[in-house]
Amino acid sequence: MYYQLINFGNEEFHAYPNKSLYWKRLNTLIISDLHLGKSISYAKNKQFLPPYDTKEILNKIFVSLDKIQPSNLIIVGDLLHDVFSTLSLKDQDHKNIAQYTKNTDFIWIKGNHDKNIQIEGFKNFINHKIDKFLFTHKPIETSLFQICGHYHPKVKISHRGKTIFKTCFVHNEKIFILPSFGILTGGLDIHSKQISDVLDKNNLSIYPVGQDKVYKL
Amino acid sequence: MNINKSNPLLLHPLNKWMKKKKWSWFPHQIETFHHVRTGSDIVVFAPTGAGKTLTGFINPIDDLIKLKKFKGLHTLYISPLKSLANDIVRNLEKPIKELDLNISFQVRTGDTTPYKKQKQKQKPPNILITTPESLALLNSYENAKEFFHNLKYIIIDEIHTFLDNKRADLLSLNIERLQTFSPNLQRIGLSATLKNKQDAKKWLCRKKPKIVSYENSVLPKIKILESKERIPWSGHMATYSINRIYTEIIKSKLTIIFVNTRAQAEYMFKNLWLINKKKLKIAVHHGSLEKNLRLKVENNLSKGLVDCVVATSSLELGLDYGDVEKIIQVGAPKGINRLLQRVGRSNHNLNTPSKAILVPTNRFEFIEAKAAIEEIKKNNLDKIDLKEGSFDVVAQHIFATACAGQFDINDLYKEIIKAYPYKKLKLNDFKQLINLIEDGGYVLKNYDQFKRIFQLRENKNIYKLVNRRETRKYRMNVGTIIENPMLKIKLGTKTLGNIEEIFIQNLSQGDSFIFAGQVLEFQSMKNNLVQVKRSKSLISKIPSYSGGRMPLSTNLANSVRALLAKSNIWDLYPEQITEWLKRQKNISKIPKKDEYLVEQFPRKKNFYTVIYTFAGWHANQTLGFLLLRGFKEFNYKPLGFVANDYAIVLWSLKEVKEIKKILNLGLLDKHLDNYLEETSIVKRLFRDNAIISCLIERRLPGMEKTGKQVLFSSDLIYTVLKKNEPDHILLKSSYEDAKKNMIDYDRLREILKKIDKKIILKKLTSISPLAVPIILEINRENLSKKETDEYILEDLENEILKEANVLSIN
Repeated sequence: MYYQLINFGNEEFHAYPNKSLYWKRLNTLIISDLHLGKSISYAKNKQFLPPYDTKEILNKIFVSLDKIQPSNLIIVGDLLHDVFSTLSLKDQDHKNIAQYTKNTDFIWIKGNHDKNIQIEGFKNFINHKIDKFLFTHKPIETSLFQICGHYHPKVKISHRGKTIFKTCFVHNEKIFILPSFGILTGGLDIHSKQISDVLDKNNLSIYPVGQDKVYKL
Repeated sequence: MNINKSNPLLLHPLNKWMKKKKWSWFPHQIETFHHVRTGSDIVVFAPTGAGKTLTGFINPIDDLIKLKKFKGLHTLYISPLKSLANDIVRNLEKPIKELDLNISFQVRTGDTTPYKKQKQKQKPPNILITTPESLALLNSYENAKEFFHNLKYIIIDEIHTFLDNKRADLLSLNIERLQTFSPNLQRIGLSATLKNKQDAKKWLCRKKPKIVSYENSVLPKIKILESKERIPWSGHMATYSINRIYTEIIKSKLTIIFVNTRAQAEYMFKNLWLINKKKLKIAVHHGSLEKNLRLKVENNLSKGLVDCVVATSSLELGLDYGDVEKIIQVGAPKGINRLLQRVGRSNHNLNTPSKAILVPTNRFEFIEAKAAIEEIKKNNLDKIDLKEGSFDVVAQHIFATACAGQFDINDLYKEIIKAYPYKKLKLNDFKQLINLIEDGGYVLKNYDQFKRIFQLRENKNIYKLVNRRETRKYRMNVGTIIENPMLKIKLGTKTLGNIEEIFIQNLSQGDSFIFAGQVLEFQSMKNNLVQVKRSKSLISKIPSYSGGRMPLSTNLANSVRALLAKSNIWDLYPEQITEWLKRQKNISKIPKKDEYLVEQFPRKKNFYTVIYTFAGWHANQTLGFLLLRGFKEFNYKPLGFVANDYAIVLWSLKEVKEIKKILNLGLLDKHLDNYLEETSIVKRLFRDNAIISCLIERRLPGMEKTGKQVLFSSDLIYTVLKKNEPDHILLKSSYEDAKKNMIDYDRLREILKKIDKKIILKKLTSISPLAVPIILEINRENLSKKETDEYILEDLENEILKEANVLSIN
């Protein structure tokens, strides 16, 4: 898999087209906003989405873990969509998770969707500091470098008379926002108010995610 | 004296009114009266101006007078357009008021106020005039059965517009529902003349089916615009003839100019305005304009307050604009029926001919215009193919049924298969559609508590809505017409109309574009509103609207081929056309009626193959994609293709030597599935299917996206479903839709079946005259959306890298 090299806080990160981020020095894989079981929770409003998202997302993770064999997997929030989401985890899924946690620590930073739910094998944190980096769902007041999720960033690109809207990795000097790793999850324009309130428009580095490649703008 | 026996209408309550107006009954009205009175379901074919509306009401009015003070709903009138429904009310009002008949009648459409609708439900009129969507809604109410149980007649106006689309499916299901409610119901269809009248009868009639037909003996006078200017090789904008068109407008009292697309309408309007020295009153009318603007134009038109209206098919149907003197059709007629419908808009007097002028915008269109005139002289109409019912419409109907109350699935199935489009609906498919409404119909089930309808414990055949709140959702999603996401255009506080989101996305602030005949500057977009201001810019874009591309009808295509081959009449054509055809004959060949000419020639390092199929745009587009694959397989290194109604051109790096081995039926069987996978056709149709079947909710204009209410992209659902459950009923349904509508599968199959023996291959040293028009059309990209996205990203990145390098050198 091709990756895009990103320097953030003077460390080397690799951004993969499957929307995961790899921290080389600490052999750590970072993902965000999986929203497992989103299809199920929509069904309570009679919106029947195909209930295969959990299965697909877990498979995507397992494929990455097999390939990269990281020591840590950090989920920067919104692993689940809501309290119904655990319904979508089958026995086999729990068995698989148990298998992978033998070699990889699963670190679950709680997002606003995650509530107080526990899942066997995951270590829960409100946020998590490693060296000068803080892993948190939403950015907070701090002098640390922050790696977060929450916003599902997308970028609007106009070029040669065409406009496209692409999921992206985005960061400035101090804050890095990951794209959503989920399947039925939408996105938010990085120039929207919600994002620009936390991510200063100046000095943005934007990395749109293509089919098999992460680009750099 | 036995005159009353020969014409029973002389005793009809309306006879007095007819006499006062000095009108006499038409033979088809007498015939209809008789057949309906003796219990027949009937379809009446008659041209506009032959009292069609009145024909439908003859029996209902007679019955209502005889029944004296009948309480409740007696007759339902279905119109294809809301505007037409209002017009019918005005027409019905005259005799009923003037004769002081004790008959109540009202209109009910999407524009009727909730208050009025409520009153109608409590105290229904004798005659209700409505649309298929409003009928579906009425049937979804809990008291539908009581409301309709005394219904005697259902009249379907302009039934020819209901035969070949999903609206027809919806209507057919709802007619059967009415028949269940009121077994004595009789059906009356009113139609413009049709080639396959029997099909319309099969579709509608059940009891003693009858056809009544009245043909107009006065043929319309149609000619092609004479112009000293050269007819262009290619293009669709008729700029060359604008001055001549203007002269024609001056000459007649009131003219409608019909064009084929909304973009053409805006363009034509703008060009006429630029040369409007006499300050004529010219207006523009198309489906994207705000309702009030459209109504204003329609009003001015019927009062004769304008000199000319530029319109799309939005003005094709129904309304009677008595004073229209002339029709100008700009661009290819595409089909005989369509042209006749448009021409019929002028001069609603049966005894004088309608007058029309055709303006071909390029050379092929000249031949097409000629052919259309010939066919109209022979009264050779296009056949309208009945379609098999679509699955998604059944799903919507199931939901509607559940809204009306609990139902037995066996009863519902038996009722549905009485409707002509669903005669062949399999029980198994029907059950899958029940499941679709129940919980999405996925194989992987894991949430019993979230169903929309559920089986009763004591009787598994009976289903019931889980929650009455769901009825609201159904009511917001009723109907089969799906538009692309549209945004409202606001000039100040005034709404001008709707524009496709995709067009606006490509605009930057300050860009100007033409809409509603005005040059507007794009200012901002917020909450689905596009704010604009007036602009004086001379350079402006014209929004193009996807969809609505009408392919050339098979009937007219055959006629074009026949005409092209008639070299003895070429000399009657304008010199440039004659010259064009003669040179083609010398350099290459003019294909005979049943031949398929294939030309091959080198040009600018590439190798070109042009195939003249005359198969219409959809079929040619499909064939182009298939050939691209075929060429790849033979390693000819194809680069791209372009298709129009008449031909396909492909260009490749290598010479295509074995065209006959590729161009045959095998091509279709081998590559079609692949083609459907790779292009976005099925995906796009899946969206329509998902919305119509109420799997996802419609995005209504003016509805704001809030953070919580994320609207699901059907693309995501499609992708997940295809991977995990390729046999899902909605995927099957979308695939069938693609085959039927988008790729003209049957037409293509017919052609490919016989093509190999009829290919005439011409190897040329350079481009032929006949190939010039299509070669000129090569400017479109032939990349899928996915590929385009990657291409844009790649390109942009390269540019930035380049820029960075340059900077670092400096």
